[in-house]
Amino acid sequence: MIDWFHPGLIYILGAFLIPLFRGTIKKGYLLLLPVLALINLLLMSKGVFSPEGKEWILPFLGYDLILGRVDKLSMVFAYVFVIASFCMMLYAIHIKEEGQHVAAYLYVGSTLGVVFAGDLFTLFFFWEVMAWSALYLIWYRKTKAAYGAGLRYILVHFFGGLCLLGGILLHFHATGSIALETFPWGGESSGIPLSSVLILLAFVINAAVPPLHAWLSDAYPEATVTGAVFLTAFTTKSAIYVLIRGFPGLELLIWLGAIMAVYGVVFAVLENDIRRLLAYHIISQVGYMVAGVGMGVMGTAAGEMAINGAMAHAFCHILYKALLFMGAGAVLEVTGRSKLTELGGLYRYMPITFHLYMVGAYSISGFPLFNGFVSKTMVVQASAMSHLPIIWLMLEGASIGTFLHTGLKLPWGTWFARENPVCKAKEPPKNMLAAMGITAFLCTFIGVYPKIIYDLLPYPVHYEPYAPAHVVSMSQLLGFTFIAFWLLRGKLYGERTITLDTDWFYRMAGKWVIWFCEKPLMTFAQFVDGKVMGVAGFFVWFSRNPALALHIKKEEAKLKVKRFMMSPKRAEEHAQVLVEKRKSYPGELPKLTLGASLVLILLAFSLYLILYLLMER
Amino acid sequence: MTGRMKSLFRVLYGCLFLSLVAGIWVHFYLHPEVHFFWEAFPAFSALYGFIGCVVIIMGSKAIGHYWLQKREDYYEKPKGKQREGK
Repeated sequence: MIDWFHPGLIYILGAFLIPLFRGTIKKGYLLLLPVLALINLLLMSKGVFSPEGKEWILPFLGYDLILGRVDKLSMVFAYVFVIASFCMMLYAIHIKEEGQHVAAYLYVGSTLGVVFAGDLFTLFFFWEVMAWSALYLIWYRKTKAAYGAGLRYILVHFFGGLCLLGGILLHFHATGSIALETFPWGGESSGIPLSSVLILLAFVINAAVPPLHAWLSDAYPEATVTGAVFLTAFTTKSAIYVLIRGFPGLELLIWLGAIMAVYGVVFAVLENDIRRLLAYHIISQVGYMVAGVGMGVMGTAAGEMAINGAMAHAFCHILYKALLFMGAGAVLEVTGRSKLTELGGLYRYMPITFHLYMVGAYSISGFPLFNGFVSKTMVVQASAMSHLPIIWLMLEGASIGTFLHTGLKLPWGTWFARENPVCKAKEPPKNMLAAMGITAFLCTFIGVYPKIIYDLLPYPVHYEPYAPAHVVSMSQLLGFTFIAFWLLRGKLYGERTITLDTDWFYRMAGKWVIWFCEKPLMTFAQFVDGKVMGVAGFFVWFSRNPALALHIKKEEAKLKVKRFMMSPKRAEEHAQVLVEKRKSYPGELPKLTLGASLVLILLAFSLYLILYLLMER
Repeated sequence: MTGRMKSLFRVLYGCLFLSLVAGIWVHFYLHPEVHFFWEAFPAFSALYGFIGCVVIIMGSKAIGHYWLQKREDYYEKPKGKQREGK
């Protein structure tokens, strides 16, 4: 009897069998894998395989690799990853290209590997698989922009992966432990260890914390329509999971999170591409979670509320963000357009897509009765309980911006804004609509019945989201945001621009490296090349007739002296003679007798002898 | 504006007014826990929503127009030929 089966392996092993199936069977098989994984998770939570809290250990080279650490923290993330992967695969089921499905399931499986990893080596392994499989979801778009963005994506994640590996090795060297536990971060006597800094750096790169976030807004909008939906969920949220494991209550994260929340909002105002706008809102929303982790000081009521809030928000965010990307992806799928300047008036053709998208928009904005309301307000409440007024204002302010962009600017610009539709369109394929429908149902269901996720959270939840004060204040906040939007809507039309972000530094650095190679380095190389070829040419010329060559060189030297000392006329005569000699070069070679040859050979030998004797000493 | 839009807006304004009344009611009858001084003001969220939205739009657009927004081919153009988007 197997005492444990890793749900990630269902995806990873299952992914390799995808090419064996065809047609409807393949579609059924693709949807079966998440169902199997969910059953596996339910059995795990019921303690069928082994009681909760027990670890699944794999001995490897003298270390105990913990592939399965099952507790409330890992189970919450695993549930939402598996449920979301079902909806996402349903959305992508019409794709014929098998490679896309394989990449998607490797991505999901490796994320589950990260979530259940109990030690750092296992974490690192799945961390890298996650980065690589995600890359293919970008590259399958097969456009020049996608190739470029994918390359930048993987380079940034290479850097992150190396930071993680370096941090793990230093940590292991210092502590002798490979367990994924809370990392040391300063104390009364000790400073901050480098290992913790490196590991934190790797985690915040994956969580897309500014200024290390640009890979996300650069790459996700260039991914395939369906690939982008997968990408929204896993990398950033698994980073939140490891942050909760490794750095709960780290004060730095509160500020980083709050800055993230506002940063994404500011950039979303400037964005013209609808999927890039939504990508900036991933950064903004993940900011709430990062801030929640930062406020999560163990053993305090506010800390428990913050960790619960971060996890609940990750759960809800995965669902509504997938829904939003599905909506934007549907527009791209049927129109081939994703820029606000090229969209407008599509409501006439795509009303169902619009309404389903709006469920996601209400959810992310935190409208009462939608799932964002029951999770986001927990993080905001935690900031109030921790007495952090500026953080509270920043997080509330980001809520305003979120509704402004995803709930107003984007749908207004895409489905309305113009009297007549910009192009012909239709509703997307049925499977896409069905996936959006299921996700929208989950968003509202959790919003209406939040107990279902509150019960999954690691700490008991003492929070009533539907307290009248919360509902009223959120309604006022969002309602008056709409008024301001309506007054200023003229300013929010898309502009045909791109927005510079921190990827500017490495994109320009790349250009400068290429410029340096092409210009100064090439000039220098040509200079050296020219000189060396000149010397070589001289030796070739000289060796044709060394005696005459020496004579010519001697005459040239004489001519220089003559030009300086004698009348120009005589010097000119000399020059004429020299030109004649050069022309006739190499001329007739001097005929050497046998004796002369022997002398030369002996000379060479004696030189060799002298060298030999010198070296010997 | 069509008639349907007009009635929609009437409902919306009604809801907003209702939310303000509800804010006052919550404040004076339920006495919710107050963490920061501004929460004592019954319509704070409404004011913050409106002002926040205006600030976000104007502030971001200013940053964008004067600094961050560039032509779409910004990264493709050879160096020296880049100009502002506006």
